[in-house]
Amino acid sequence: MNTEELKALVSGGPSRRAVLKYLAAAAGAGAVGYLLNGRLRPVLGQSVDGDAGILTAALYLEHEAIAAYQAGVESKLLSEAAGKIAVAFQSDHKYHRDGISGAIRTLGGEPIEPEKRYRFGHIQTERDVLRLARRLEKGAVDAYATLAANIQNRDVLNFGAQALTDEVRHLTVLNSVLGFVNY
Amino acid sequence: MFSQRDEQRFSHRGLWQLIGIPLAASTPEQVKASVKRDQKFADDVAILNIALGLEHQAIAAYNLGAESKLLSTDQLKIAISFRNDHRQHRDVLLKYIKRFGGTPVEPKSRYDFGALTSAADILKLAHALETGAAGAYLANAYRLQSTEIINAAVPILVDEVRHTTVFRQLLGLSVTERLKV
Repeated sequence: MNTEELKALVSGGPSRRAVLKYLAAAAGAGAVGYLLNGRLRPVLGQSVDGDAGILTAALYLEHEAIAAYQAGVESKLLSEAAGKIAVAFQSDHKYHRDGISGAIRTLGGEPIEPEKRYRFGHIQTERDVLRLARRLEKGAVDAYATLAANIQNRDVLNFGAQALTDEVRHLTVLNSVLGFVNY
Repeated sequence: MFSQRDEQRFSHRGLWQLIGIPLAASTPEQVKASVKRDQKFADDVAILNIALGLEHQAIAAYNLGAESKLLSTDQLKIAISFRNDHRQHRDVLLKYIKRFGGTPVEPKSRYDFGALTSAADILKLAHALETGAAGAYLANAYRLQSTEIINAAVPILVDEVRHTTVFRQLLGLSVTERLKV
């Protein structure tokens, strides 16, 4: 990912592709790259304005999760029990969104808005909704887990660890509901 | 990704020493830098040692549960799988504590887990220990300074939260509440 793409990511209008590229760059160029040649910085430019880039990528995923749960709830496909879980988990993601947005502002940035429209594919059954939620939660777990060590600000790291904890809980519950083992 | 903070802390040469690759020569300056580095991560090592104590305790509890004959087949599978996770955590923590110049705590010679007379007792004990461990990692995550150690600790936190959530489900507790630390 080059500097222009990183700027585009931070300054707004990011696409899912840009976010995923960012995450891939962060994951692939982690400690290994540094250990091998000590020349990590060129890979991520100036660290995407530090924490603001990480938070922006996280915020994108939070917006997406909120929209996915909203689509699930509005689909009328969910049982009462699944609906309760969806609403509760969506509420956690809103909490993350608000915390991350506040952190970005504190760092002098402008939080990105959700996309006008998300493409979640064909959602025809409750299972489709739950599978979509599971996929997004898993992506969020991977993102937070990958990026945690790159966070500079200790308050941001603390918040990120709490968000990660929520995402793992969500993923574990969705695994159970969908019949995937958690052990 | 790596900040100036990290770069100041790790000299490139220091990194090679950290990962165990011997260097041909050590000047007094390098030795001094190495001592500084270890002192700088002393707080991280202390946190890892607390975590290691919790891992030892969890392994002992799961051993007790697995040997109790009180668990159903499925519960036993979970207990053994989670115990294996904790063994892996223990080994990771041991490695980092030693690498950063610390002395790993040993398991206690015995643990008092109270009276365990039913499967529910064991599940409640496991839930309490897992929640405590997750809380400990969560409460201390932001205190960790070393990027390398944070990277090692994150997958452990992920496991502990998964474990505690599984026990909440088994015990019929709410899984829609946020973990309280």
